[in-house]
Amino acid sequence: MSTTPEEIVDGRRIVVCVGCGGVGKTTISASLALAGARRGRRVLVLTIDPAKRLADALGVRSLGNTPRAIPRKLLDRLGVPAEGRLSAMMLDMKRTLDDLVERFAEDAVARDRILENPIYQHASDALSGSAEYSAMEKVFELCEREDLDLIVLDTPPSQHALDFLEAPQRLLEFLDSRLVQLLLHPAFAAGRFGFRLFQRSAHQVLKTLERVSGISFLEDISEFLLAFEGMSEGFRARAGRVQALLFGPESAFVLAAGPADESVADAMTFLDRLEDSGAAVAGVVVNRVRMWPAAAVKLPLESEREAALASLAEALGGEKETGGSARKAAQAALSMLDGYASMVQQDRVATAPLRERAQRRGCFWREVPELPRDVHDLDGIARIASFIFEADAEVAGGG
Amino acid sequence: MALAESVRSLLDPRLLIVTGKGGTGKTTVVAALALTAAAHGRRVLVVETGREEHVPRLLAPKSDPVGYAGREVRPGLWAMRVDPYQALAEYLGLQLRMQALVSRIMRNRGFRQLMNASPGWRDLITLGKVWHLEQQRTEKGEPRYDLLLVDAPATGHGLTFLDVPRVVVSALRAGPLRRHAGWVEEMLRDPTATLLLPVALAEELPARETVELVGRIRQGVGVPIDRVVINAVPEPPFPEDLADLDQRLARIPEDRVLAGLPPAPVIATCASHLRSRYELNRRYVGEIARESGLPTLILPFIRGGIRGPDDLDALAGALLAPATGGTP
Repeated sequence: MSTTPEEIVDGRRIVVCVGCGGVGKTTISASLALAGARRGRRVLVLTIDPAKRLADALGVRSLGNTPRAIPRKLLDRLGVPAEGRLSAMMLDMKRTLDDLVERFAEDAVARDRILENPIYQHASDALSGSAEYSAMEKVFELCEREDLDLIVLDTPPSQHALDFLEAPQRLLEFLDSRLVQLLLHPAFAAGRFGFRLFQRSAHQVLKTLERVSGISFLEDISEFLLAFEGMSEGFRARAGRVQALLFGPESAFVLAAGPADESVADAMTFLDRLEDSGAAVAGVVVNRVRMWPAAAVKLPLESEREAALASLAEALGGEKETGGSARKAAQAALSMLDGYASMVQQDRVATAPLRERAQRRGCFWREVPELPRDVHDLDGIARIASFIFEADAEVAGGG
Repeated sequence: MALAESVRSLLDPRLLIVTGKGGTGKTTVVAALALTAAAHGRRVLVVETGREEHVPRLLAPKSDPVGYAGREVRPGLWAMRVDPYQALAEYLGLQLRMQALVSRIMRNRGFRQLMNASPGWRDLITLGKVWHLEQQRTEKGEPRYDLLLVDAPATGHGLTFLDVPRVVVSALRAGPLRRHAGWVEEMLRDPTATLLLPVALAEELPARETVELVGRIRQGVGVPIDRVVINAVPEPPFPEDLADLDQRLARIPEDRVLAGLPPAPVIATCASHLRSRYELNRRYVGEIARESGLPTLILPFIRGGIRGPDDLDALAGALLAPATGGTP
């Protein structure tokens, strides 16, 4: 028996929405958050670079890096009870990292040295894992707030499935590495017992790097590292707590996917690797699936086609129009239906392996149909939620 | 300007870098271009930059991975995948000319950890490898490949990818690394040899991201760019003279029984859905053309998806057609 989306938004502190870019992860995250608010919880959706119009709809136009409450009037219209709250926040990753430097730098001099270091300025958005780390860091900070019951995290679109979860570990390993330590404290390392052998090979590595890269590069890098080094203790403690929180019982992962072959393949890899790393995936939401607007739609068999055509031509022709033109319209309608059927079939075939794997692992499985228009406002988000949550269920299509 | 540029064939550049967000079908475009170029007698090398060998798998399904060494997957068509660590080892080997030392460095755990967490070098070394491949000559002194087709990382990251050499050149004061990055930058900016080809979809996010990409390329990154590919654009759902078919279907009374067909409202809903999506697609096609200011190349939506080389033929013709529109 799998958990349901209802249980997750009711019972957890954190819902992490993961998945590859371009599948509508932000929309799914927002709809999970809205559902939580509708069920009386105080919810924050933390998003990263959503479509601008969606940001407008959520009221997070500016990169304030602070939560913005969705106005009560809007919430009333969306059926959010008095105790329910919904706020949204767009994460400014560079600023979160700068904040982190401010907080953990030993003193103002160290802080300025990091912030003004050319490598930091060029690299802080590319520094491996720093974006992912910033997002986690923010979640951790927000989790300490008393006025929030649930945080839905829309993870940064990472090229590789687990960048997001592995990032803090990688950063720590980096700061811990003996090569980095040597760059930072050559004298200390030299005096340490058992370090000599390592030191010799490390020196060779460093000398080689200098030769290949030019000395100035190493100077900048070691200054950058030196500045970061003072932070590493605070950093480490927090990274550990963030990890524990995310993999703990208070969190749930929801995997968002798309129905195209490529994105199904990515989602399967994602699912496997998440499970390997110890994260429990509660459910899979496939977005923008082409499906029939009603249950049990059947198209005419080859032998019934002529009769179907005649019957449709008659219905289209009404009283005044007969013969050629109505028949042509009926033929066009029939070929439109054939096209529709092949799209439906294509998505069903493409998603089947993911569905099978998700269900075998006890994940819930929800399909959100492709809508006639893109989602740009809270009403659209409510509509998406209606396909994920039973209570608000409606039949696909229409509208 | 735009007009003259758009006349150029996609087979003319020596280095074609294809970029686009996941799901835009970038892989398909690279594969279709590779097949076409090879069919036109070009010696083509496909350079995969991701962790997976998407393009080689499409070009030669069911065969072994091509790896870093690469392989001729079809006559006149080679494919390889750049693994940054292998490229780094090759680079260090060329610089130091001491293989034992290079192996020792590459095995050093501290070095691995340093490299694992360091930004940018993967992009730089990958582009460096492309530069190196571009320099290769046959015994007769001719370029070893006529066309290098690079499947670049997905957009957001794709821009960082192309900008790394410039950043390195501006951040370093001197040294071999700066000099080498300069060579790579020069190659990327060479309008006679290089072309960046963005692949978009006629949908909201990909459209917006493509427009941003084009803007930033033109503002600073400076890689030649002269058209945008818009992939998987569906055909109109009804013939031209029946454009209001969805409305006509909607006028059929709900309770009217249609022989062997779904209820009339279901048919009408399907029709209006397809028409809405089609109109939305057209709007985003217009938006990309207008806001990027570049000519566009529209690729058809392939019903049933693309599963192997045979499905790619339909795209090849469209890719060689001249791009249309754009403002100078």
